[in-house]
Amino acid sequence: MSPALQHALSKPLSKSDGFLLRAGAALVPAADRDDWRRNWHAELWHMHDRRTRARAIPSLSAGLLRDALWLRAESWRRAYSGTAVLCMVSLAGLCVVAALLGLAAAGRDHFRLVIGSRIPRFLVESLLVVIVSFATSSSRYVDQRTTGKTLCWIRRQLFLAAKSVLLLVLAFLLSADLCLPLFTRMPMTADALQVFTFEFCAIAGLMWAFRDQDQRCKHCLCALSTPAQVGRPSHNLLEWTGTRQACRFGHGVFSTPEMLSTWRPHSHWVEDLELEVSS
Amino acid sequence: MPPTLRLSHSAALILKAISLDYCFGLDVMEVTGLPSGTVYPALRRLERDGLVESQWEPDAEAAASQRPARRYYEITKPGKAAALAATQRYPLLARLVPSRVIQEKRS
Repeated sequence: MSPALQHALSKPLSKSDGFLLRAGAALVPAADRDDWRRNWHAELWHMHDRRTRARAIPSLSAGLLRDALWLRAESWRRAYSGTAVLCMVSLAGLCVVAALLGLAAAGRDHFRLVIGSRIPRFLVESLLVVIVSFATSSSRYVDQRTTGKTLCWIRRQLFLAAKSVLLLVLAFLLSADLCLPLFTRMPMTADALQVFTFEFCAIAGLMWAFRDQDQRCKHCLCALSTPAQVGRPSHNLLEWTGTRQACRFGHGVFSTPEMLSTWRPHSHWVEDLELEVSS
Repeated sequence: MPPTLRLSHSAALILKAISLDYCFGLDVMEVTGLPSGTVYPALRRLERDGLVESQWEPDAEAAASQRPARRYYEITKPGKAAALAATQRYPLLARLVPSRVIQEKRS
């Protein structure tokens, strides 16, 4: 118990308040727990004090628990916002939701039959979509020489591969969900519609994946933030102007020129900004 | 705070109450009539967004009155601007939250 709670109070808290405080404290992140407990100890004490003076004060139980939950959610938001883990979990969650939607719409047996019979075709289509997406993606404009060490490079490629697989599965499940009602009545139309829907969703998804990959820190894979315009538009097009986005953990900045030119043909990753300015 | 950020009605009400010197969570609950489950998380959000800031009462002051020290909230400069914008957006806000002086005279 913190020193503030050992204060000689004229009215100690009731057993139910003590239980509430313990339950809420378990939800609060450890770093904020003492402060939170002290705060709510005081609030509950004052609530009882006002009630003894016959003032109608509503219960604080909901506030106490929601405050604890808010602190927990906020700590998660700070820790996982923009991270690779959140990206993967979100995509996996969307896949589960898409599968559940299909199950609910068609029933277990029909859903398994439709999905199972189309898996070989899905694999062939996925291969084609991946080739087309790689060939047409603009990631070649990122200067790959400045994108870090071998281990980081392997981690980035694994992340891209995992993200792409999840996106392809999601596109397949969504296209199946959309066409499920048609499979029994118009199987040919449903098949054609599913192929087009899958290809459209998969290509759009992979384009997003490549773009998202470029917008992440090359070390920790967190989404880059705080975009800043650097330089001014030049009349003779010789001065550099572009956008810089920074890694929130300070690993570096990603520099994207406004206009690609022979002297700055790539977006590039800068780890030491001072070194770049001096060169 | 970005100038385009708009406060919800309850957040505006709470900010207005703090701007009128209702600085404790319980006081804000009483004057706005909002439940504790709305007021306390909203105070956290307002503090995170830099519209209010919180501090602890001095321990000596609380000990002298035989009660635990409380956290109190004060409006910041961006918070004042946001409260003003919210009052323009929700004209009834000023009537919903009475000034602390008027409230004390009534009671």
